[in-house]
Amino acid sequence: MNNDLFSFKKEAEKRALDKTDQEIIEKALSEGVETAWDRLEKQQPQCGFGQLGICCNRCALGPCRIDPFSEEGPIRGVCGATADLIVARNLLDDLAVGAAAHSDHGREVVEVLLDTAEGKTQGYKITDEEKLKAIAKEYGIEVKKKTNEEIAKEVALAMLEEFGTIKNRLQFTERAPEKTREMWKKYGIMPRSVDREIVEAAHRIHMGVGADHLNILLHALRTSLSDGWGGSMMATFSSDILFGTPTPTSSVVNLGVLAYDKINIVVHGHNPILSEMILKASEDPELLSLATKNGAKGINIVGMCCTGAELLMRHGIPIAGSLLDQELAIATGAVEAMIIDYQCIFPSITSTASCYHTKVVSTSEKAMVPGAIYKPFKPETALDTAKEIIKLAIENFPNRNPNRVKIPDKSVKMMAGFSEEAIRKALGGSYKPLIDAIVSGKIKGAAGVVGCNNPKIKMDYGHVTLVKELIKRDILVLETGCAAVACGKAGLLLPEAADLAGKGLKPVCKALGIPPVLHMGSCVDNSRILILAANIAKEIGVGIEDLPVVGAAPEWYSQKAISIGAYFVASGISVVLGIPPKIFGSTNVIDLLTNKLRGVVNATFAVEPDPIKAADIIEVEIQRKRKALGI
Amino acid sequence: MKGVLVRPERCIGCRHCEVACALEHSQSKDLFIMLREIPLSEPRIHVEVGINFLTFPNRCRHCDPAPCMQVCPTNALERDEATGSVVVNYNKCISCTACAIACPFGVIQFKEVYQVKLKREVNAKCDNCMDRQLEGRVPACVEACKTGALEFGEINELIRVSRKDFTVRMTKSQGAEVEVPKIPENIKAFRGVLEKLASEGLFKED
Repeated sequence: MNNDLFSFKKEAEKRALDKTDQEIIEKALSEGVETAWDRLEKQQPQCGFGQLGICCNRCALGPCRIDPFSEEGPIRGVCGATADLIVARNLLDDLAVGAAAHSDHGREVVEVLLDTAEGKTQGYKITDEEKLKAIAKEYGIEVKKKTNEEIAKEVALAMLEEFGTIKNRLQFTERAPEKTREMWKKYGIMPRSVDREIVEAAHRIHMGVGADHLNILLHALRTSLSDGWGGSMMATFSSDILFGTPTPTSSVVNLGVLAYDKINIVVHGHNPILSEMILKASEDPELLSLATKNGAKGINIVGMCCTGAELLMRHGIPIAGSLLDQELAIATGAVEAMIIDYQCIFPSITSTASCYHTKVVSTSEKAMVPGAIYKPFKPETALDTAKEIIKLAIENFPNRNPNRVKIPDKSVKMMAGFSEEAIRKALGGSYKPLIDAIVSGKIKGAAGVVGCNNPKIKMDYGHVTLVKELIKRDILVLETGCAAVACGKAGLLLPEAADLAGKGLKPVCKALGIPPVLHMGSCVDNSRILILAANIAKEIGVGIEDLPVVGAAPEWYSQKAISIGAYFVASGISVVLGIPPKIFGSTNVIDLLTNKLRGVVNATFAVEPDPIKAADIIEVEIQRKRKALGI
Repeated sequence: MKGVLVRPERCIGCRHCEVACALEHSQSKDLFIMLREIPLSEPRIHVEVGINFLTFPNRCRHCDPAPCMQVCPTNALERDEATGSVVVNYNKCISCTACAIACPFGVIQFKEVYQVKLKREVNAKCDNCMDRQLEGRVPACVEACKTGALEFGEINELIRVSRKDFTVRMTKSQGAEVEVPKIPENIKAFRGVLEKLASEGLFKED
């Protein structure tokens, strides 16, 4: 790439689909600010052993690798592990890390729920009483003559118990249809607890434990189920109890949501226990007047990644972007503070911030970042800390250099807030209208398009191209996380986008006044997709594995995405991945995941980077399931 | 004639050869010490990405006659008769880069080397691991390569394999169905995925 404006423009067009992103990528290039795309280029070539999953760096006998071409090179690690075993162990490792990330996030929310019930927290309260009571009933907790706090305490303790090993059962798996549960029992993948499966995964990948790739991968499915129907679901439900179950709401998206004349605060990361308090504190009259005193017209809280999705779903706050936007937001030169908790925060984010006046504030003891200002966030002093952080951002406003600020002109409108409850309500209280539309063929089926950004794919191209293709083919799309941000930027999360849908889906969306692409929340909120599928299946009287529903992660990067993909598949929903997982070094593992699993959970993985071809695979799978249902 | 033949279809871009090369040419020849050496030993073999994420380990071919030797004004480049290698007498090198201009493969790099006491950069190209060869060992890069992308031996013997592959390819139209060189199905599938990934985005060709 040459160092001239034309080359920067061309490079920006290669890197991202969205014009506002391109604009700031150009700015970053011309100002010499390093981003993930630059780092990916510097990493070329990336090690083939690693990409194929046949590098094992687990113990001190190694590191070992397998010759993927012939038996003349090494075909076993020092311990004797074959390519099949090394690939399977690596995959289970990645998956367990992803499940742990979701579940540890979930645990923190449950702990705040407990502390709130005991009156120990500052700023938090029980918001959704109805959901609290419904969940209490599921656990067999008596709700009569008890205060919300008393009920919440029992619910939180019941949930926390499920992280341990005594109970050996996860309550929310009972939300799955009986047929699906029988399938889990039959193959021994019914999850027993959250932490137990993750710890057992770590045990199983130690040298000399499991040597059978099939057995290891079945445990991977069980671990993923403990995330989807356990840790992630508890994160979603506890957040709903504390902050409210989302209802349809409108907002705006892309880097244009940043303001020239306001204090811009980006909340970045995952857990709403932080971002909710930041939002609450930003309404404090004293802080607002301090903002005015510092020459700003207000405080502009915008979201980045999943914590943004949490606030968007419940409060309609604007979304600045997804994973690959974190550096771009700073490169606008307009961000006073980026407040982070954990997951998907580039370790180099403080280096990016050091190119501008932006202050990065880390808040979790689990996720300290060199160069960041550390403000430990504790439930008992949450609101005070949130105010302190906002004050710090306000006082940084005068340091903004207007000559270096560039904010894209126009943000795009979007709709969000489609929790399972909200969708059911929009349909009139039962899924019958949706089921009828599917049976009649007006809607062929549904696709959960989820997952991250990855600089290996032009940012948002995979998501947007696939989703446009799906709605055109009368497939309703459900989204979470970065995928939803991508489609938001492309204007697909609006009721008007129904005009891009096929002639079956379009009138259904128009009649209900909903977009053809429904934003269901953050990445832990993929649990909402499971609940939606479970409720539809139960209403019809089949298993989730029988539904014409498919998942896709066109631009995934994270271990969490592996866990999500696996719990979709383990729940009977096939998944198409746009980025190859590290399994191609083992023919047997490929065959198991892309073929043999169909005989176990009636769902498989597929790998297809071309979004149009991915849509073909999804449609074929939906038709296969429709045919089996006789519709 | 002995030498290193590259089988590019077997290179998976792990860069293990680069690490082994840097290690071999370091002062300590110890992985854990070499990273603290000044000057830092750097690889003389280069694994870079071409199209569709495919890689090629590029290394001095030790030509004979060697264009670099022919243009060197100080005779800093010499032929080692025992191994046929083109080697640099670092202290005679004046860093004029004439050799790099003449080199058809772009493998000459100018670096500081511990053998030169003054702080200047000289032609630090591949020496074919001459010392190892004299001890009857294969070059470090070849030893490190676990996929058979780099092979050392009697060149005509190594070429014989390629020739046989070529013969099969040329006779394929007459009924031979064997694909050569044989690449495992899973690797072909993986490369197919990479090719698609390269068709849009950062690695799209201009």
